[in-house]
Amino acid sequence: MKRPEWLDFDPAGPFTLGPRTFPGRIWTASGCFGYGLDGHDIAGDGFPTPFAGIGCVVTKTVTPAPRDGNPPPRVWDSGVGALNSIGLENVGLGRFLDEVVPRLDALGVPFVVSLAGTRPEEFGVMAELLNAAAAGIDLWHGVELNLSCPNVAEGGVDFGRDAGMVRRCVEAARPRLPDRALLAKLTPNVARIAPLAAAAAAGGADAVTAVNTLIGMDIDLRTGRPVLPRRRGGYSGPAILPVALAKVDEIVQETGVPVVGVGGAANVGDVLKFFAVGAVAVQVGTAIMNNPFAAAGAAKGLLDLEA
Amino acid sequence: MIPSIDLPRPATPPRRIGGRVVANRPVSSSMIRMGIELDESSAFEPGQFCMLNLDGPGEMILGRPLSILGLDGADLDLVYKIVGSGTRRLGELQEGARVAFLGPLGVGFPLVADAAHLLLAGGVGLPPLLAWARSGAGPDDLLCFGGRDDGDVPWELLDDRWRVSVDRAGDSPDRREAFTGNVVEMARSILGRDDRPRRILACGPTPLLRAAADLARERGWPCAVSVEERMGCGYGVCRGCVVPRREGGYLASCQQGPVLDAAAIDWTRFAAAAGAGPADDRPEERS
Repeated sequence: MKRPEWLDFDPAGPFTLGPRTFPGRIWTASGCFGYGLDGHDIAGDGFPTPFAGIGCVVTKTVTPAPRDGNPPPRVWDSGVGALNSIGLENVGLGRFLDEVVPRLDALGVPFVVSLAGTRPEEFGVMAELLNAAAAGIDLWHGVELNLSCPNVAEGGVDFGRDAGMVRRCVEAARPRLPDRALLAKLTPNVARIAPLAAAAAAGGADAVTAVNTLIGMDIDLRTGRPVLPRRRGGYSGPAILPVALAKVDEIVQETGVPVVGVGGAANVGDVLKFFAVGAVAVQVGTAIMNNPFAAAGAAKGLLDLEA
Repeated sequence: MIPSIDLPRPATPPRRIGGRVVANRPVSSSMIRMGIELDESSAFEPGQFCMLNLDGPGEMILGRPLSILGLDGADLDLVYKIVGSGTRRLGELQEGARVAFLGPLGVGFPLVADAAHLLLAGGVGLPPLLAWARSGAGPDDLLCFGGRDDGDVPWELLDDRWRVSVDRAGDSPDRREAFTGNVVEMARSILGRDDRPRRILACGPTPLLRAAADLARERGWPCAVSVEERMGCGYGVCRGCVVPRREGGYLASCQQGPVLDAAAIDWTRFAAAAGAGPADDRPEERS
């Protein structure tokens, strides 16, 4: 692909976000690539592993206590997008710090940890515990606060829709992360997203991640019932790319807060669209579920742009 | 209590490989056999599966999990059933169509040479057990397949060693006699009072797996079941395809399965979840 004339930075090189320099601008989205521990033995598409060239993995969201997640079925291909209702299944912060972080370090995976709590103060406590355990690990680049997961009936979703709560969550975590990047992941399920980004920046976030999944639903016409046991789930994939671009555009135009774009990006062309509206990095999510090499392919696509 | 069973560790690392459809034709009223020539060679163990998608235009959002009947060098042999619009798209592929294969994935069935086995296959649960039987079924093993009716039975795939049951009796003058009833009832009737220790290997819909687990519990036999769960990624990263675990929480059927130790499953929660979802992988009216 030809390098667009409007692209005024090196898309394939390292870049700085807050106190950290990231090795690349293509990340994997939280919840779509596990903790970054799986898939290392898969080869294909000309890549030795799915991690080739990836700037960092944003881990599956970690909560203070372990969570079993939602009953199955949890995923659904709606034809133009994917619905999910995983329910933040995770091992809890304790096991994450004891077992997952050392393995990520050993595997050489650059990572950002996604955190979710049920009270603003909890984000501070979790950030402090993480920093105490992982401060010496250079591959740990930062924290992404999951303020907007629509799958969890308790907490989460309400923080993300209220600018005051967004700011309180960020303010709780910021002082505990002196030399790591802090991002707030925002929900698209609001009329206006720019005020949420402004609140995150006011609270001390280095960037916002936009956007989390849309709330979605599908129906089995034969039964008249929703396809997911919990009725509604998170909607992602190529169908939401235009929504994500519009939300990133709104944030950049109205606030100037740095944005890591996410939502429907599957290849280098999609990534360039996010760059065109001002995103500083892009996360690949649902596409990795179909093709483990989707993010690696996008990263290589940036490297191979022809002058 | 069901005795636990050891499951094999996968031997061949998965690869994403392109391929070309060389055959795609029905082998029964519900099953289609697809031959694919892969661009590179691979290998598999019976019970393992792959994620298959179209390659290029028309690619689906998510691949579809299909169990592997054979994978010899670059020749891939799949048998699948149309359950929704995704598998219908696969069923419409013509010779020469390009596909993307991700596999082999998951844990296969254990092969123990000196044991007597009972194989229970229901519908499209046949391919993994057929592959297992081809690779090492012994003279003491009892091989059972159950279909809905005569037309549902892929007769060309089943050699004489397979005992066949059908839910509804039909006219089949040219074919082997089939038991009327479900496959587990047939197995019980054949076994009778034969209480020689066996290992049960089962693959099929959840009610069949549950009946297999009940039989294992009654007889004190170890039992491995291959589950048919809706999947997102197929390689462990999305946690979309879970099965309730006896100790609480869930097992990822793509990574810890699809062949699972029946003793490790919470059968009550599993049966409840099986009734909660849609029958197919997508509402067909949306296609």
